[in-house]
Amino acid sequence: MSASRRSTVIVENLRKLHMKDQISNGKRLDGRIFNESRPLSIETNVIPKANGSAWVKLGNTEVVAGVKVETGEPFEGLENKGALIVSAEVLPTASPFVEPGPPDEETIELARVVDRGIRESEMLALDKLALIPGKIVYTVFVDCSIINTDGNLFDATSYAVVLALLTSKFPVYEIKDEKVVDTGKVQDPPINTVPVSITFARIGDSLMLDPTTEEEVCMDARITLTTNSEGEYTAVQKGSNGYLTIEQVLQAADIAMTKGQELRQRVISIGKKEKA
Amino acid sequence: MTQARSLIDEGGKRTDGRTANELRDINIKVGVVKNADGSALIEFGKNKIVVGVYGPREVHPKHMAQTDRCILRCRYHMTPFSTDTRKNPAPSRREVEISKVIRESLEPALMLEDYPRATIDVYIEVLQADGGSRCAGITAASVALADAGINMRDIVSACAAGKVDEKIVLDINDTEDKEGGADMPVAFMPNLKQITLLQLDGRLDKDQFNACLKEAISGCERVYEIQRASLMQKYFGNEPELKNGN
Amino acid sequence: MQEIRRKFVIPGDTIVEGNVRPLLNAHRSGNSIISSRIGIAEVARDGAKVIPLSGVYIPRVNDIVIGKIKDHSSLSWDVDICSCFSAHLPAQDLFGRDFSPARDDMNRQLSVGDIICARISTFDRTRDPILTVQDKDLGKIPFGELLRISATRVPRLIGKRGSMIQTIESATSTRITIGQNGLIVVSGKNKDGIELAIRAIHMVEEEAHTSNLTQRIRQLLNVPDEQQEGSTNRDDVVQEAVDEPRADVLANNERANGDESSAEDGNYSK
Repeated sequence: MSASRRSTVIVENLRKLHMKDQISNGKRLDGRIFNESRPLSIETNVIPKANGSAWVKLGNTEVVAGVKVETGEPFEGLENKGALIVSAEVLPTASPFVEPGPPDEETIELARVVDRGIRESEMLALDKLALIPGKIVYTVFVDCSIINTDGNLFDATSYAVVLALLTSKFPVYEIKDEKVVDTGKVQDPPINTVPVSITFARIGDSLMLDPTTEEEVCMDARITLTTNSEGEYTAVQKGSNGYLTIEQVLQAADIAMTKGQELRQRVISIGKKEKA
Repeated sequence: MTQARSLIDEGGKRTDGRTANELRDINIKVGVVKNADGSALIEFGKNKIVVGVYGPREVHPKHMAQTDRCILRCRYHMTPFSTDTRKNPAPSRREVEISKVIRESLEPALMLEDYPRATIDVYIEVLQADGGSRCAGITAASVALADAGINMRDIVSACAAGKVDEKIVLDINDTEDKEGGADMPVAFMPNLKQITLLQLDGRLDKDQFNACLKEAISGCERVYEIQRASLMQKYFGNEPELKNGN
Repeated sequence: MQEIRRKFVIPGDTIVEGNVRPLLNAHRSGNSIISSRIGIAEVARDGAKVIPLSGVYIPRVNDIVIGKIKDHSSLSWDVDICSCFSAHLPAQDLFGRDFSPARDDMNRQLSVGDIICARISTFDRTRDPILTVQDKDLGKIPFGELLRISATRVPRLIGKRGSMIQTIESATSTRITIGQNGLIVVSGKNKDGIELAIRAIHMVEEEAHTSNLTQRIRQLLNVPDEQQEGSTNRDDVVQEAVDEPRADVLANNERANGDESSAEDGNYSK
């Protein structure tokens, strides 16, 4: 059961006044314009024992994603495809308000939305990852650990997952005598497309790209849109307990497509550099 | 456990090329988690661990607070991608035991009587594990606690020693841990010269036990130098001290 | 007796040996005086102390703090003072002794998110700090930019007899209200002045442990270097004397002196 809750973080009224003042000048508290995202830094292969990994810093939000590839049973109804499982955990180091324990509704929503963006875009060609259809397939786990939060976990986590997958090395498994054998060789993952997630917060009448924690506390609504290399939307999620007008949704969708494409170029070039 | 194969070659080199009393490379960065009161990232060989400390702070639920001293809460947790096979995110019995022994290794160093009714929370997140992760965790946690400005009697430094091919070696790695003859993690307060963590897993006779303990403690002292340097670097950088008198 | 001006220490380090009195953040172990914190150790005639460079704010009676209203019960507001405990401001403090929750609406005076400047009137080992806003210059702060620095850097920001903070205020035409807990409000008419003041504050926070900081701050603010009057010609990390009429600066000066009556400053268990 989901219940409305008061925010644990309280933004000071002085900060809200300052925010209003900045907005009237087309700026945000940290000096950014509405369509500007924070500095993004990416390091890949940070967990050499994993098959792939990425450490993403989006402003002060920090996420580490790790890919582990094993074998297992396929999902029901998807006998010919490899299995992909995306999970996320907000570590208790991330903020004073996080307590250790099973994931809450926000974290579960985060993991599912990120998973959706990857799965629906078919970033990984899962049909190439079946060993014995119906019996044994590749199982790809992508686990995300959020180390520090300062807003926009959706985008930061999504970028970490995409980069960890793009730069991973999958083991090459074979079937010998009905058993799975690790040949010891490695292969590039079968990648179809590169999904990019873009998130906005609506504050008053304005849409702010890549919100910080303070902006998320003050926002009326949030929208996350994921686009793929083919110019399609593959996942969308409206969040928080306010509304969005039709114009705002269309405006956000428009910007998400352009900004998504810009960021995609950067992500792909990082992915290529790591392979070289 | 009795060893199955040889782990040290004729040249005296171990599985990762080290000699018997060589320590793995250690790197510590202080203050890496912005929201935490204190934090550290340690790379100890292939172990990669992030520690965040919050405290002293209010205890929730209130009934857990103690009226005359601070409580210490400690969580050792491995991320699913930290081990060779993917680990289930739910806490394992091993993590529960390690959380306890780590807490008991840090408590003697903290002046908990200075903060009644509060809590100090230490979160040790293992991003990659490779033998000796509890020692690496304790080492980083001490640095994070000092970074958080908590009153401490001393730093806690930790290092393991073990028996491999019937030889006592310093700082055993993952393979040596799994296949070797004994593993002895130790945590030590280097100025007070007090042991705060001691475990043994394996078989050691009396002489081997003494030698192993000594070796581990010498490892702790070397780890301490690195902890000290990392804190000095963060807080004082290259700033010169004024010498006595002026 | 050996005098030490400035020794960089971490917890467990020996500051000095022998018959020296342990003061702020120092404790005795056998024949040695040991540091309990990361900071700058000083040994003088009165004893050995360590000026800490990190640590959460621990409340002290009579400290001036800046807090944020989080919530309220029927009789008091819950105030976040960025410390290890929540503070409370009794409704009677603003409404008077005949305050009645049925008749008086607390939200009319202070609502969630408001920032106040208050003095800690009571605090001890057994309960949360109680605040009062009844003195001069205390109460709700309606305007200004809010920022936060480590509480350990506040004495350095105030400076000898308030000199550092007054230098910044006059050079930028701002009024800077400092809480002992590290929260600061900068107000003024001139946006550029406010920005410059904030930069100066952050510079002090980052370089509090260095020497010649005053000079570099003056450079940043474009203030000409005057000849410093007073007993010393070097940068002190801790100020010596107290003589300020302003409420926040006064309390902060006393605090930083390490009020010798309580040898273990920084904890409230004594």
